[in-house]
Amino acid sequence: MLAISVMNGLVMGVIYALAALGVSLVVGIMNVINFAHGELYILAGYFSFLFASVLGLPVAPAMALAVALVFLFGLLIERLLIRPTYGNDMYSLILTFILSIVLQNAFLLIFGPYPNKPPLWVRGASDIFGLFSYGNQRLAALLSGAVLIAAVFLLIQKTWFGRIVRATSQDRGMAEWNGVNTTRLNMLSFGLGCALAAAAGVILSPVFPVTPTAGVPIALTAFVVVVLGGMGSLWGCVVGGLLLGLVENLGAAFVSSGYKNVFGFIILILVLLIRPAGLFGRAKL
Amino acid sequence: MNRKRTGIAIGLVLALAFCGAAAAQDTVKIGVVGPRTGPAAATGAAFDEGIKLAVDYVNGKGGVLGKKLEVAFEDTAGAPDKAASGFERLVTRDKVVMVLGESHSSSALAQIEVANRLKVPFVVVEAWADEITAKNYRYVFRAGPSNSGVVNQTIAQWVKAETFKRAYVIAENTDWGIGIGKLTENALAKAGIPYESMITERNSQDHYVELTKIKAFKPDVVLAYIYGVGLHYFVAQAGETGVSPKAVVLDGAGPPSLWPDYWKNVGDYGDLECFVSSMHEKVELTPLAKYFREAYTKKFGKAPTDYKSRSIFDGILIAADAINRAKATDAEKLVEALEKTNLETTRGTAKFGLTKGGPEYHQWMPPMLVIQWQNKQQVVLYPTQAATGKLKR
Repeated sequence: MLAISVMNGLVMGVIYALAALGVSLVVGIMNVINFAHGELYILAGYFSFLFASVLGLPVAPAMALAVALVFLFGLLIERLLIRPTYGNDMYSLILTFILSIVLQNAFLLIFGPYPNKPPLWVRGASDIFGLFSYGNQRLAALLSGAVLIAAVFLLIQKTWFGRIVRATSQDRGMAEWNGVNTTRLNMLSFGLGCALAAAAGVILSPVFPVTPTAGVPIALTAFVVVVLGGMGSLWGCVVGGLLLGLVENLGAAFVSSGYKNVFGFIILILVLLIRPAGLFGRAKL
Repeated sequence: MNRKRTGIAIGLVLALAFCGAAAAQDTVKIGVVGPRTGPAAATGAAFDEGIKLAVDYVNGKGGVLGKKLEVAFEDTAGAPDKAASGFERLVTRDKVVMVLGESHSSSALAQIEVANRLKVPFVVVEAWADEITAKNYRYVFRAGPSNSGVVNQTIAQWVKAETFKRAYVIAENTDWGIGIGKLTENALAKAGIPYESMITERNSQDHYVELTKIKAFKPDVVLAYIYGVGLHYFVAQAGETGVSPKAVVLDGAGPPSLWPDYWKNVGDYGDLECFVSSMHEKVELTPLAKYFREAYTKKFGKAPTDYKSRSIFDGILIAADAINRAKATDAEKLVEALEKTNLETTRGTAKFGLTKGGPEYHQWMPPMLVIQWQNKQQVVLYPTQAATGKLKR
């Protein structure tokens, strides 16, 4: 029981971290909370389903196309909805909240209320060290999620783009004086945040089918992870995600599965009582 | 000139108001509540289909009180607060004479309080918690399954008939789930069948930890009371973790096993799964059931699967019959007419219980079937007199 709880906690933790990274990136750079984050995850899941299951594209190109389209959609949202609201965080909050409702209803209208899922990459289940049986698609999701998280860290820590992102996150004015076009950076970062939600969506939709309103709990978990880890901290996302995944699964295994979601909130309250800024403190990338 | 224009404007307004009033007088409006959004939004789609067929049927036979029957729908999203306010809107804004529907027990429990307060007859069709009728409210009826009816008349009898040796009960943390789970435990204890049980989070996508606990108990049947997309997750993950096919999994609600994307979501793990249903293509209890199947296929170009489309169809027929017999839309007369209902529906003859003190009051329990997927074909297992095949393990 302990082994599968830990394994499952890690898988869910990586998934939570991936979904939260996009939120954290946008919060860190733009100080904008995107309430439609969960719906963008769902949109990518629907695109992936549409391209692979309906149009018959191979799985990998279907996923790449889905992420690219959501990235472009993210750029469009930033340009049309977020940019005019700079300087007033409340407006962007309300606008993205409205966008989430519009998207939910559009999904319902276009795809109907039934769950949809793109094809599995791998079928069946594997025996893990003779301890338990585990779904192959979940193992693939764990692996690809971990690779993607590592890629985001490399991008932020080792590239020129990452340096600009970190500089802007630390001191926007100073970055501008050094020639950084922060308006364009905002647009790109918002698009990247949306693309990360989309990446989580295409990786997970074969495991957890998408429905019009399934984005709400995903966004909620992502926000919990971001607050748990510390607003704007990428390391915080990873540690917060893994902590949440492990606590939920160990709690469900050894206390009660009916209160699975409560354990996450208990941890959140405890962390905020001890460290009000979250595990990894202030906004810093 | 201005006076002339004002006169014309007033005239137009009065004419429009008169037309509106005339149109309103030509119809009798009833309300339907159900989830069009949320995890069980598919039920809203099934209700929509049933409503269209029922309205065509009733109006094709002359309508109600010589007028056309009209239906107003309110989305409840499976949330009790929305359910209660939606119910109230139907009564105060749409002026409906009766309300039907609902599929979530938690929502229905909120709505019966509104029905009782506003004194509006409410016929629940697919919310199963016993408390809905056990409160013995004068204006509340149920023309559909109740938790105790489904457990004691169908599920527990089927478990005994198949001679299962060890059972596991897993129920979602809702009014329906907790209620039906407890009743199942009582029935299993009474039958002397060893069992264990657990409660699961309603919105959980992941059941691996629960399934590992279930596997350790080595049951030969798992009675799963999880509604909506969650059931798909559970069935697929039961296969991945090796709980099924060693143990037979029963979907204790039914419709999610019949949704169009069931097979795509659960893959091969869906085969040999069992579910309860009040509908099967080879079991037609009344001529009206045959009519429904034919009319549905003609209108929607597919065979009916989600039995809740037929439940709301029956509900509307019961409402129309009561209004016609009451010869009025007055709530008191409608309640009296509903209490005297004796109407052939698609699921048998509807007749409400009148004995107070328990959930049987104002309750009509239609017969339910236990069906198993065998090579993607539905095989009726229980009741044995209606069986079209035997359980495969």
